[in-house]
Amino acid sequence: MRHLTLALLVFSVLLISCELYPQDEYEEFYVVENYLTALDELSNLYLSTTAPANIEYSFEDFAVRNASVQVNLLSEGVGSSIEDEFPYEMNEPGVYSPLVAHRTLPNRTYQLTISNIPGDIEASIEAYTTVPDTFSTVSQVQDTVIYQSENQIEIDITPSENSERQSYFVFTTISQNPSIENLTPLYADFFEDEEGDIKEFAKTSSGIVNEANFEQTPNGSIRLKYPWLAVAFFEDNKIVANIIDDNIYDFLRSQSVQLGGSTLSPGEIPNALYRIEGGIGVFGSLAADTIQTYIKRPE
Amino acid sequence: MIKQLAAFLMLFMPTMLIAQNASVNGYITDKSSGETLISANVALLENNRGTSTNTLGYFSLTNLEPGTYTIAGSYIGFKLFRKTITLSADETLRLDIELEPNVVSTDEIVVTSDRVKEEQKDIGTAEINTELIKSLPKVFEADVFRSIQLLPGVKAASDFSSGLYIRGGSPDQTLILLDRNTVYNPSHFFGFFSTFNPDAIKDVRLYKGGYPAEYGGRLGSVLTIYNKDGNRNETEGTATLGMLASRISIEGPYKKGSWMFSARRSTLEPVLAALRSTSDNIPSSFYFLDFNGKVNFDASKNDKLSLAFYSGQDKVNFPFSDDAEFKLNYGNRTLSTNWTHIFSNKLFSNFVLTGSQYFNYPEVELGGTPIERRNNIYDYSVKADLEYLPNEKHELAIGIWAGTLTIRLNDRFDDEPSFSSRSHSKYGSVYLSDTWRPSDKWKIVSGIRTSYLSDGDYFRLEPRVSLEYKANDRIRLQTAYGRYNQYLTLITNEAFSGFDVWLTADDGVKPSFGDQFIVGAKTIPFLGYGLDIEFYYRTMNDMFELDPFLQDVSGLDYPELFRIGNGDAYGAELFFEKRVGDLTGFIGYTFAYTWKKFDEYNNDIGNPDGSGRRYPPKYDRRNDVNLVLSYQLSKRWKSTLSFNYATGQAYTQVLGRYTVSNTPWSNADFNTFTVGKINASRLPAYHRMDVSFARSGTFFGMGEAEWQFQIINVYSRRNIWFYNFDFDENPVSRSAVPLLPLLPTISYTVNF
Repeated sequence: MRHLTLALLVFSVLLISCELYPQDEYEEFYVVENYLTALDELSNLYLSTTAPANIEYSFEDFAVRNASVQVNLLSEGVGSSIEDEFPYEMNEPGVYSPLVAHRTLPNRTYQLTISNIPGDIEASIEAYTTVPDTFSTVSQVQDTVIYQSENQIEIDITPSENSERQSYFVFTTISQNPSIENLTPLYADFFEDEEGDIKEFAKTSSGIVNEANFEQTPNGSIRLKYPWLAVAFFEDNKIVANIIDDNIYDFLRSQSVQLGGSTLSPGEIPNALYRIEGGIGVFGSLAADTIQTYIKRPE
Repeated sequence: MIKQLAAFLMLFMPTMLIAQNASVNGYITDKSSGETLISANVALLENNRGTSTNTLGYFSLTNLEPGTYTIAGSYIGFKLFRKTITLSADETLRLDIELEPNVVSTDEIVVTSDRVKEEQKDIGTAEINTELIKSLPKVFEADVFRSIQLLPGVKAASDFSSGLYIRGGSPDQTLILLDRNTVYNPSHFFGFFSTFNPDAIKDVRLYKGGYPAEYGGRLGSVLTIYNKDGNRNETEGTATLGMLASRISIEGPYKKGSWMFSARRSTLEPVLAALRSTSDNIPSSFYFLDFNGKVNFDASKNDKLSLAFYSGQDKVNFPFSDDAEFKLNYGNRTLSTNWTHIFSNKLFSNFVLTGSQYFNYPEVELGGTPIERRNNIYDYSVKADLEYLPNEKHELAIGIWAGTLTIRLNDRFDDEPSFSSRSHSKYGSVYLSDTWRPSDKWKIVSGIRTSYLSDGDYFRLEPRVSLEYKANDRIRLQTAYGRYNQYLTLITNEAFSGFDVWLTADDGVKPSFGDQFIVGAKTIPFLGYGLDIEFYYRTMNDMFELDPFLQDVSGLDYPELFRIGNGDAYGAELFFEKRVGDLTGFIGYTFAYTWKKFDEYNNDIGNPDGSGRRYPPKYDRRNDVNLVLSYQLSKRWKSTLSFNYATGQAYTQVLGRYTVSNTPWSNADFNTFTVGKINASRLPAYHRMDVSFARSGTFFGMGEAEWQFQIINVYSRRNIWFYNFDFDENPVSRSAVPLLPLLPTISYTVNF
């Protein structure tokens, strides 16, 4: 018995003394943020680094200055030749703007390259996005709808061509008159009168909604029934249907579980999924269409 | 091939012996109530032949030479039974043994009890005394699962969860059987308590690992719970008034058998009403309730029938905003009919028809948008088990279990179907096992189980074997190996089990499988004490879990719902028990590692498509010590103490952060962390002490009564569940979400 106990003790000490899974130290990463919207002009690109989690953070403090940033239109998919080049220049710390105007082409692949980062000349960042096909609203949307009435906002859109998978949507509601008095009851209850709340509520978005949720009409269009849940303000609202690419899809679905809400145990935090070589963040694209309506208070 | 076949036949075919043809068989019951006793011991003292009762309380000793014997029956907590019997040639003696509850400890009883108890404990198994469940300090309500969590090898995810994490397995890796019927969500209060009413339970047995061929369908463990049959001598009852719930149980005899009925309901309404008058965000209604019942019909000396049912439900309505409400209704219902037939002194049989239903109906109404789920499981099965005793060296068991399993899952968003799934599976299994005792020192249990699932047309073979060597009267060495398959996975959240959904393997989603290796020893270092030690290693392969990164599953192919991974777990368990005297109790220690690995998960940050690094799940604890002590302070007063110390759970330390704040679709800031390896840090160590004092007396002379006073977390240790982050602060603030605070509770029980 004594030998057995001794063997157990030795076995335990051996296992305890080996650190099988050590904690990593903080590592700095370059963070990219840029979105290409089909048929829209190229937009600003934001370049920064991560900050240690325990220190004060502002984008400006961690902005990466004076890097060489360029977006290339590729002739075909990833790995094909460059058809057109769009260099960017920094106009604010970490904020880079395109030097030439270019309307983003749907169904085309763009490449992002970042190099010559001062102080880290070896660094190289590269990412690709294939812009979703455009779509358009084919139905007449009511000018005015009564909030939470039976006549919900319905939008018929043409399907977006994507041969490999169904479309992933994100919906945006943009209030044209965001004020405390105009808040719908649900959002009024969540409103904490803090700076930024109104701005945040003025442009809200859904999570990812798969195309399969929606009814296909006999003429082949997709009928989107817009949930009242997405309406934060009464009166004039713009409603935007966005079809997102794989990069935004991966970022959104993985970032959202970092603070819980999935099947992961509380405290188990994975990194977001990134499609950027040499950095993290989002270099993504989307196609969007917008309608406008007036949401009237119920009697 | 011929050699292999011969070896197989050698293993399973009985050795034919001649001439010894007398036998004795019967049931062993509690004399005071008539309840059958599971795993009670019976022996013939003259020839050292012995056995123990099966799960129906039946025993049989066959192939005995004619003659006069002293037969002894024993069971923990009961007086030793002795009787002289004379067996003539070819005689089959039916002897039903009634054991008298023990009131005074004697040396003889102590010695016998030690031996009996050791005989009962096979490798990887543990029995939980129902009286211990009731006497332990309890968080509001006596709970079977929380008592099981005190055993070595069993871990709790948190103070708020009664889920069983056994030897590295998640709760879905434990098969839970109530009267041989599968229970799919054995929880009340969203996981805080288990559904089993301690007043209705007769026997709780946990097979932590290496479980025998009789059971299957789960990678890790089996928990069998048997409800009481009901008192066959007199009508009696018990009623308990508690702070969270109250319960009543009545049982009694009738002309041809017995019956038992028990009910429990939460009694939170006054508390909720008081809270609503002072606070917002309190549920407008909440209750849970459950009913257990059993009726036994003794048709003849050799035929017993029983009908058992369970029904439990949790229901909550929670308006958490002016224009938002959450509703949840979930529960289980089980019904089983059991027919036990004794064909002969050598052949015992049991047939069961089971029906098990689980439902969960969550609904959220958010700003005029309804979101609903309808999830149902219907499991109907038939089981047949035969035990055949060809001679004194072999016990053969063969059985089948076949049924249909229907799982329906329908989600609706904004009154439109958003996800719909219905699987209707047929499943079946057959097992054959042999318990072979070649000598007094050796016991070899070998078995094989085959199982089948129609979804995906999966057919699996599962060999099982265990060996026991009795080195001397005080030391038994044991080892076991088994292959296990699992066709189901549970979608749940550690913090909340009210939305639990089960899904099956199917085309493109293979069943999980794993191997278990166990070696251990059961010893009696001193009279009245027990010391057990076990080492285990187990694998978990092809685990299929819902992909945690899926926000919307509409339109996805079934295999796309899952991430597939592997894992392994290993460790050592020590269990030291003092069984007699005024001070009784045990100390259990577990040293364990658990690892999981999923493709494309826990990769380096720059390599999201990698094959994944292995990581410890949150419930992995390196060291875990449980101490339970009961002391009889006086004739009326008894105190119980439990103490748990455990290494802190694994968590992911956040290292870096950034903010995505220029998206075209939202004005919200997407605050994002960067982390290193998942779960590479440890929370502070967990420790908690609970005490309970029980004072027995009478209820106005009408019956026995007991007050129970308890303090949970006596020294108010602020154990941490997890860390929460507030991005409104800069730098981001981290706050600890605590577990249970100091919590006094009181309950009153009357027996009538």
